[in-house]
Amino acid sequence: MGQSPTNLLQGTLDLLILKALALGELHGLGVSRRIEQLTRGTFLVKPGSLFPALHRLQDAGWLSSAWGPSENNRKAKYYRLTAAGRRQLESEIGQWKRVSLAITLALQAN
Amino acid sequence: MSFLRNLFTKGAVERDLDQEVRAYVDLLTEEKVRAGMPPDEARRAARLEAGGVEQIKDEVRDERRGSLLDSALQDFRYGVRLLRRSPGFTTLAVLTIGLGIGANSAIFSVINGVVRKPLAYPRADRLMFITSQFPTLNFSKFWISPPEYFDFREHTKAFSSVAAYTTGAVNLSEGDRPERVNTAFVTANMFDVLGVRPQRGTVFTAEQDLPGTAPVAVLSHELWQRAFGGDPAIVGTTIQVNGAAREVLGVMPPGFDLHDSKSQLWLPLGLNPANRQNRGSHFIYLVGRLADEASIAQANAELQGMLRQGWREWVPQGHVPNDSTHRVQVAPLHDEVVGNVKRALWVLQGAVALVLLIACANVANLLLARAESRHKEFAVRTALGAARGRLLRQFMSEGIVLSVLGAVLGLGLAYWGLKALLAANPESIPRAAEITLDPMVLAFTVGVALVTGLVFGLAPLLHIGDQAVSLAIKEGGQRATSGAGRNRVRRGLVVAEIALAVMLVIGAGLLIRTFRNLTSVDAGFESANRVTFGLVLPPATYPDSQRVVQVITDLSRALADVPGVERVGAMQGLPPMRPVNANDTNFEGYAPGPGDPPANVDYYQVVTQGYFQTMGIEITRGRAFESGDAIGGPVVIINEALAKRFYKDRDPIGRRLNPFFGPNTPLFTIIGVARDVKQGGLDAPAGTELYFSHEQSARVTGFPPRQMNLVMEVSRPLAALAPAIRAAVSAIDPGLPIIQMRTMDEVVGGSLVRQRFLSQLLGIFAGVALLLAAIGTYGVLAYMVSERQREIGIRMALGAGSSQVVGLVFRQGLGIAGIGIVTGIAGALALSRLTQSLLYGVKPSDPATFVAVAVVIALVAAAACLIPMRRATRVDPLTAIRAD
Repeated sequence: MGQSPTNLLQGTLDLLILKALALGELHGLGVSRRIEQLTRGTFLVKPGSLFPALHRLQDAGWLSSAWGPSENNRKAKYYRLTAAGRRQLESEIGQWKRVSLAITLALQAN
Repeated sequence: MSFLRNLFTKGAVERDLDQEVRAYVDLLTEEKVRAGMPPDEARRAARLEAGGVEQIKDEVRDERRGSLLDSALQDFRYGVRLLRRSPGFTTLAVLTIGLGIGANSAIFSVINGVVRKPLAYPRADRLMFITSQFPTLNFSKFWISPPEYFDFREHTKAFSSVAAYTTGAVNLSEGDRPERVNTAFVTANMFDVLGVRPQRGTVFTAEQDLPGTAPVAVLSHELWQRAFGGDPAIVGTTIQVNGAAREVLGVMPPGFDLHDSKSQLWLPLGLNPANRQNRGSHFIYLVGRLADEASIAQANAELQGMLRQGWREWVPQGHVPNDSTHRVQVAPLHDEVVGNVKRALWVLQGAVALVLLIACANVANLLLARAESRHKEFAVRTALGAARGRLLRQFMSEGIVLSVLGAVLGLGLAYWGLKALLAANPESIPRAAEITLDPMVLAFTVGVALVTGLVFGLAPLLHIGDQAVSLAIKEGGQRATSGAGRNRVRRGLVVAEIALAVMLVIGAGLLIRTFRNLTSVDAGFESANRVTFGLVLPPATYPDSQRVVQVITDLSRALADVPGVERVGAMQGLPPMRPVNANDTNFEGYAPGPGDPPANVDYYQVVTQGYFQTMGIEITRGRAFESGDAIGGPVVIINEALAKRFYKDRDPIGRRLNPFFGPNTPLFTIIGVARDVKQGGLDAPAGTELYFSHEQSARVTGFPPRQMNLVMEVSRPLAALAPAIRAAVSAIDPGLPIIQMRTMDEVVGGSLVRQRFLSQLLGIFAGVALLLAAIGTYGVLAYMVSERQREIGIRMALGAGSSQVVGLVFRQGLGIAGIGIVTGIAGALALSRLTQSLLYGVKPSDPATFVAVAVVIALVAAAACLIPMRRATRVDPLTAIRAD
């Protein structure tokens, strides 16, 4: 938490959200915490970008949502991947690998 | 669909989002409390970390797919803002579209009301109009005689019922206000044939319609309201018609009419089915309703059978219809009523469609020019990730904003224009009462608006291709000379505009020449400084025929004493628009052979002694009527056309003829020949005519005309004379209504209303087209100059004089105009067949008109070049080269 958070590249947030939900359903704060944990605190997702992204992904048909009780029996909205979301995650992972490889190569070149 | 969900359940979605964000803050607070923070502090920290609830919601909203609508609204607002920023362009574009749409809607309303709407009867398509036809006499649509009507009614199977009618006018006296009322004399079954029941009371029965008809009457709704104040107890009361009492049987529903006769009173026709004499007395028209299983083709086939054979079998000898010289024809009633105005209306519709096309081309051009100057903006926005679809949507919304504004303006123009049109031309359009701006027209306008909006929107896309984007960026904001392809589109649009304008202006030119030809036609009489009005002397109040003559003679004397009245005459029929009489007439010693004209005269006219002088009709041979003729033997004056047809080069004076005024008509001696007067319309040749003396009519024939038109040569304006004229009539009989007091110039002008209406409207449209084409030419040249400023600057720096620069612009302008003119002339020639029947005294390919129009358009194009030319010569080479 002490690190200064890196700005998210455009499109990266979607990929991270999909990844975070790949392991199971989460509510908004849960998604945020899971991303923090997955990236070892590099990325802090504020609600101002989290919720628009969640709604966008849901409208795209990649996520579904439902209200349910939280760990402490509070009401929270839980998100989960749909089948289409799972496919989207796979294709975005493939694409990310290509891009990051290309950029790494470019940066290593003299 | 979440899109729909968002749209329709906005409230629920909004609440859901609110709860979700609040739950997030709660969870975050709880997390901090668990980590050891005091609850109050934890909550504040959580709020701070999460950011404002409303901001989050706002950002989510922006992400929504339902925002398609929001972004459309945004596009719309953006479009409005852009348009507001260039008021000149917007005003020009909206005016252009408004004019196009307004003219279209107005004319479409007229066509819709007049041509397309079925007549206002149940199953109106089954109603047929039946007339006779005499090819050898050139009568293409003539009346039927009562015996022919009864023959046909008895034998037809294709028609379930056939009714007959004739129209006229009667004097209706209600209290002390005499009034002239259009009247239809109909057989009792007419109401059944038309399928219309009275609104109140009943109509007359077949028994009441026998000869010597029962004194009954049926009122139109309008007459009942106007003359009787909508009296609910009107049925059963008595009204005075032509001085005789008639019982009101019923009132017809509003708008009920027959063949656009504007009849307000319905009286029995009184034919005698048993009387099959006088077969040649044609004076009724027939309306038939087709039997349920019959088609028009069957009705025609049946009729042909009757003409070939049947009729001759029922009536072995005498005058009967046949399939050569005396035909009978059937045509849909709708075509009859709409008839000759149909083509004129479609020509007008074609003209306004051209105006709309020109308007569209103009606006497309304007938008294209704008799109080009905003080239860079679009390139940058594309590069920044604006989807092409979004750009397209923005273009279209701009176009749609323009066309919607234009449509609103256009509908306003159509509404007022239509009102003005109908107010200015009440006589020239049939069924005028049925013309309204109705939902059909509204739909049409909206359709036109949307299509033009889409077209305008797509036009600029022609060059927002991928290359355009990369090019614009590469150019780094430098102003590029637009590619040849793009210019070709713009020039093509202007060429099309000019071509369409040429076609329209040629059409208008031809119609204006037609109208001028018609107004300069020699009608055969003087109309300037002449005033006329009509009188009818009904048999009920004037049973004595000598008295009928005396009243006119007395009135003529009284009118002659009015200061300002120079001469007075009277005539039975008012030229120049009389229905043809076509009376059989025997000329002593004339026996027509097979190739000779039949012994038939187009017009019988009865006139007073002062008539020829008052009307300025020259007597070319012999003499006019004199006071001695009143007591002398039967005399007649013929016109030149009749002299030429029946007497060729022999002198007609002193020869005798036998007109058809019933049995025992004496022989009349020809005493003079008068110059031809146009009786059947200014555009028709003058027919053959006989003039009888009104003064001797009662004595010689026993039937003086009861309807006479008085005419006066005057030296003061009508308005100044009218009170004295009314007083003179009233002094003789206060119960006599004066019919249509007006100048003879108005009478003559009235016979040309349709032509004037057409040429005026088409003239206006052509003017608009010319203006639009000029704007288009100006626009494309002005754009070219501003675009080639650099090039012009370099040329001038290299020593080109301003005359060369002017030449550059001028050549381009005239090149465009030239192609447009040639294309337009070709188009006008191709369409000439359509306008032919509307022209008089001018050919559809009239070279003078074509040349004049070409010159006018070339001048307009040259004028459109002027401002761009001046601007080009003012280009400062230094600034032009340094610019950008």
